[in-house]
Amino acid sequence: MSNRWGFADLGVGIGLRTVHYGEILGQKPEVDWFEVLSENYMDTGGRPLWILDQVAERYPVVLHGVSLGIGNTDPINLEHLTKLKALAERTRAHWVSDHLCWTGILGRNTHDLLPMPYTEEALRHTVSRVKQVQEFLERPLVLENPSSYVEFAASTLTEWDFLSALAEQADCGLLLDVNNVYVSSFNHGFDPHTYIDNVPADRVVQYHLAGHTHKGTHILDTHSDHALPAVWELYRRSLRRTGLVSTLYEWDEDVPELSVLVAEADKARPIRDAVAAELRATAEVAAG
Amino acid sequence: MNLELPLDRMQRWFQALVVHPGTPDQGAASPEASRELETDQVGGVILPSRTLQPVERVGIYHGMYLLRMRDALLGDYPALEHFLGETNFKKLVRDYVQAHPSRSHTLNRLGDHLPEFIARHAGVPRREFCAELARLERALSEAFDAPERPPLSEAAIAAVPPEAWERARFETLPAFRLLALRYPANAYLQSVRDEDHDHHPKPRLKAEWVAVYRRDYAVYRLELTKPAHDLLADLARGERLGDAIAEALKRPARRRPAQDDLFRWFREWVGGGVFAAVRFD
Repeated sequence: MSNRWGFADLGVGIGLRTVHYGEILGQKPEVDWFEVLSENYMDTGGRPLWILDQVAERYPVVLHGVSLGIGNTDPINLEHLTKLKALAERTRAHWVSDHLCWTGILGRNTHDLLPMPYTEEALRHTVSRVKQVQEFLERPLVLENPSSYVEFAASTLTEWDFLSALAEQADCGLLLDVNNVYVSSFNHGFDPHTYIDNVPADRVVQYHLAGHTHKGTHILDTHSDHALPAVWELYRRSLRRTGLVSTLYEWDEDVPELSVLVAEADKARPIRDAVAAELRATAEVAAG
Repeated sequence: MNLELPLDRMQRWFQALVVHPGTPDQGAASPEASRELETDQVGGVILPSRTLQPVERVGIYHGMYLLRMRDALLGDYPALEHFLGETNFKKLVRDYVQAHPSRSHTLNRLGDHLPEFIARHAGVPRREFCAELARLERALSEAFDAPERPPLSEAAIAAVPPEAWERARFETLPAFRLLALRYPANAYLQSVRDEDHDHHPKPRLKAEWVAVYRRDYAVYRLELTKPAHDLLADLARGERLGDAIAEALKRPARRRPAQDDLFRWFREWVGGGVFAAVRFD
């Protein structure tokens, strides 16, 4: 199975973070690709952009945003999209992603990934906006399932059904964050396997993996730790459906040394190898 | 009873609760939130979990909002936070983001109005000093993010015929900022960076003049004398070099530069990367 746009499997990557700039440029670590937080580079002409240019020269780059606000009810911010498009061209980004969420209203940006109700109204609204964004960017948008802490009583769809319908109707890609599936499954009491098994596999172009913080009453998606074995198992389960897809390890709080982060990301490699072998064996059996 | 609010109304309600400076319950009862949804209807919109009630669940977003704003402002204003202390800085953040919430896709712009806000905000201790410290830290952030442009090279300077200098007008680099401060904000900032906690300058009137500039993507601060500041300010305004020097030499004796000073300053400014271009009338 490969995604319908033919986006390459870039292998195993990590997020580009300020604390690692020196090591990345100086040591050229063995990382397959970097994910870049779009908004950190859209309004600067200083060192961050200079670093990014050099990273983009040496590694494949993917842009990942947090402020697109695809579910916002304010008008789409064309200034933001213009800058995003320019950055994607500058870095030759393989794709551009953001989150299924809203970020603010009445002109405000809370800089959070706020939860959507999974209703028909919200679906129509989001489909329409994804289409507008894709038309402007002249490329498919890739949307990530968020972690969430509330459920709306008015929701008539599960999150995975909403995401699937959105992806089909808007013809967009999906960034499947298996840690977010785990976090939300605890917070809302659903079976994460059901979620993983019902996402349209041919639309998944990227995975996110991360650690989280258990607060007793709920789990926070903090990207502050190693991933739990249960999260790695969800990743393995999903890979069997999607085949090998670009995989990224996120670590944003208490960011460790680069070697620790790379070692954590590298845990994805034997899983990818094992699943690839399984899929090859299955294909050989099917071919007789 | 399940209640489906129109999407925009739900978002207005949710945001009003999340950004409220008090508790989540106070946020739910605020005029902005209750205009969209009465507090006794919250359970019709948000489901409880096994462990949390509806407002407590929204409260998770509420709790993270001010932390995120504080972290963003702390990144731009570390010396100000050091001076105010954690509690006072947290109060300042709470009040500031009520008055100047983020309207940008980036948190890098969140603190743009903080110096002016502090100057008008009665709740900040040592307000005038804090406003100047914030001005200096704001200037550093602006210099960090300013568009890149190559500085005027020493070779370009050397190629200028001697008789043309009098008519020279300079253009400063986008990352250049010039500050005249009434309080020792720069000395304070340096003491914080040096972790010299026993010798922080007192926030008493003591003028400082500082040029902020960027070279090879690193931001620098250059302390100036008052005469150097005044001359550089004239040049940054685009005055002709001959006129700016003539003006400087007319100043009272204690503020008048010596000719050696002029050459030294000029070399420092060109070497540091203050100027982007020179043109001649």
